[in-house]
Amino acid sequence: MSFSFADLGTGALRAALPLAIWGIGAAAYAAAKRDGRALASARWSALITFLLVVLAALAMIGALVTHDFSIAYVARNNALETPLFFTVVSLWAALEGSILLWTAILAGATAYVAWRGTPALPRLATTALAVLFAMLTFFLLLVTTPAADPFVRSDIVPLNGNGPNPLLQNHPLMALHPPLLYLGYVLFSVPFAYAIASLILGEGGDRWLVATRRFALVSWALLGVGIVAGSWWSYAVLGWGGYWAWDPVENAAIMPWLVATAYLHSVMVEEKRRLLRSWNLSLVIATFALTILGTFLTRSGVVNSVHAFTQSAIGPLLLGYLVAIVVLSVGLLLWRLPTLRDAGAVGTPLSREAIFLFQNVVFVAATLTVLLGTLYPLIAEALSGAQLSIGRPYFDRVEVPLALALLFLMGIGPQLPWHGASRVTLERQFTAPIVAAAGGALLAVATALGGAFAVLTYALAAFVVATVVQEFARGIRARRALHGESASTAFANLLRRSGRRYGGYIVHLGIVLVAVAVATSQSKTVEVERTVSAGDHFEAAGYTVAFGGLRSVREPQRDLLVADLAITGNGADENLRPALLFFPNATQAVGSPGIAAGLHDDVYTILVAYDTSARSWATIRVLVIPLVSWLWLGGGVVGLGAVIAALPQPKRREVMRPLTEAPATVGD
Amino acid sequence: MTVRNARVTEPMGARRVLLIAVLAAAVLIGFVAVQNLASSTVYYLTPTEARERNIAPGTAVRLGGQVETGSLRYDPQTRDLRFVLTDGTTRAAVIGTGAPPALLREGAGAVVEGTFAADGTFRATQVIAKHDEQYAPPSPGATPSHQTP
Repeated sequence: MSFSFADLGTGALRAALPLAIWGIGAAAYAAAKRDGRALASARWSALITFLLVVLAALAMIGALVTHDFSIAYVARNNALETPLFFTVVSLWAALEGSILLWTAILAGATAYVAWRGTPALPRLATTALAVLFAMLTFFLLLVTTPAADPFVRSDIVPLNGNGPNPLLQNHPLMALHPPLLYLGYVLFSVPFAYAIASLILGEGGDRWLVATRRFALVSWALLGVGIVAGSWWSYAVLGWGGYWAWDPVENAAIMPWLVATAYLHSVMVEEKRRLLRSWNLSLVIATFALTILGTFLTRSGVVNSVHAFTQSAIGPLLLGYLVAIVVLSVGLLLWRLPTLRDAGAVGTPLSREAIFLFQNVVFVAATLTVLLGTLYPLIAEALSGAQLSIGRPYFDRVEVPLALALLFLMGIGPQLPWHGASRVTLERQFTAPIVAAAGGALLAVATALGGAFAVLTYALAAFVVATVVQEFARGIRARRALHGESASTAFANLLRRSGRRYGGYIVHLGIVLVAVAVATSQSKTVEVERTVSAGDHFEAAGYTVAFGGLRSVREPQRDLLVADLAITGNGADENLRPALLFFPNATQAVGSPGIAAGLHDDVYTILVAYDTSARSWATIRVLVIPLVSWLWLGGGVVGLGAVIAALPQPKRREVMRPLTEAPATVGD
Repeated sequence: MTVRNARVTEPMGARRVLLIAVLAAAVLIGFVAVQNLASSTVYYLTPTEARERNIAPGTAVRLGGQVETGSLRYDPQTRDLRFVLTDGTTRAAVIGTGAPPALLREGAGAVVEGTFAADGTFRATQVIAKHDEQYAPPSPGATPSHQTP
């Protein structure tokens, strides 16, 4: 019998399933009886399961690369002409492949906990391992049954496949955005599993939270950067000049991120003040449930979305999984509630923990209002049969004020000491930032930024930046005084030795960049649309756009109709090629914008319409979008800050020296 | 709220202030959300449903149907776009501004978003050629064709 990728993949997944089921029992037994042999067995099961699932994923990539159309997934999502790059990334271009990727990541997380987690916290991590095995079993069930079996054979083997969805094969970000999101989604399983394990064991303490702090931070950062990469993809591919549409899938990704952000902050309250224990457990459960809800919404076809995959049997299964998770975890939480006592109470309203509490309330409110807007069409259809959608105005009007409130809290929270601030502290911490905020507001007014929200964003952005600069300046000054370091060494040491705190400030700067980018691009974009003939030129916000004509380009996998544009003025000199792409597998042409990106503004051009008979004219839309590239930059800064915060701190060698690293007045 | 004495405020009083502030914020946010939910609702209707429900002028509607053959007019100079959307029973005259989507064709499906004017015409803020991605895998050897729905 000849070699077949389908046999290899199917075999690997079917071998992994019983191992994962065995792992549940072995890990549970090991945790209950403290049995070393059972734990060893669970560990090896985890590792072998992981290797088998990776083997299955590699088999799928092998099948894609060799265009093995005997596999239905390959026949639907690949064609002989598909470029190699998009062939490989087709692993996550459709339902079954993306669930396979999900399973592989979850198996990796399970193996990690089995080998690295259990030595540190034998009982807790081994119980968490059993929970992870149970979740892994569910996903292995999906990929070994018709629900999402990626290796189902084609009825008839076609000579050529259908090719990937046109939208998914014209941008390199396709390689980055989905895996980042999946990593973020799936890695949050680890804090969730530890939280559940802590509830099962009735520990009532914070060990689960400390053990998974880094995991939560990394998955939060991956999800955040994945969301920004997704909006960048949407901006660069979909040809509408925007980057966020409150599409159900975008909402599905932002909701767990919002709750996880709340969690990362309230964790600090629990660590420092032993407060908010049941609240933190609730946030972890909510974050995890929202990742599954997001998967359900987008993989079941219940909502209309550009991302929604076709209807499939997986919907009811995911819904069942979601309900089971919510019922079991909330049940556990209620059962253990009496053991989750807080050690004390939140201080005055002007204490750091109180601001964190407010911040948490706003984050949860933002999540719930996004959830309401996303699910309302489903609720309305179920109740009255009316088909409707919730438009952008709802999300903009509700979420923008909440985002501004968060920006404000981000400025004051880190500046307040735990327990409460005195008047002297307030003056010392906020004089410079308030001056900066006034400057920011003036800058916004001076640049004729429209709207109160935009002015407020600038003021708050300047406020936050001033607080961060002040913190760094004080930290550097303290290190120079204590250790006699140069300013640059002191700066590097702040990041290295107090990464959690100063990395967090860098994250805040990234968020400020995103806020300024959104406020500016939303309020000052200039749009010009002209119908032109070859040789014509027109003006848009100081740029001259010259139209050179239309031409056809043939590529192996598609045909292009390209408009040649030359952009000059404002220091720019670029040739852009907005195009319409015609793929053999799609009835619609796909627009592809031509973008001249810059730090100050982007010139975004779209071929809107053209003379189909003689090609004598074309309608070109030009958007001049200010500061939009700061959005991608901000995403990168958030990721960088998270890396700094997640890196293990070096062992302290200077045992004899005083260990103060930051001004003690802030009360870290 | 006395900032000077913040540290010595009796905990119960501080907690009450916090609780009230949190509750007030929650109520305010809930109110704003519900207010905006109603005003941001866009109904999906066919022209017949729109007529039967007697949709008031100014209500945001998403109308789906077919572009009636012979009705599509676009003037590239004035950017005036007009066509008739029909579901076979009821016709709705649609007026929009700007070039139609590249593949908006007579006889093909379209979705328009906008409001009805007092004179009964539909003022579209957005015109979308209906997505029809129901591509069947091509039979062996055949060239996949650009189908017209």
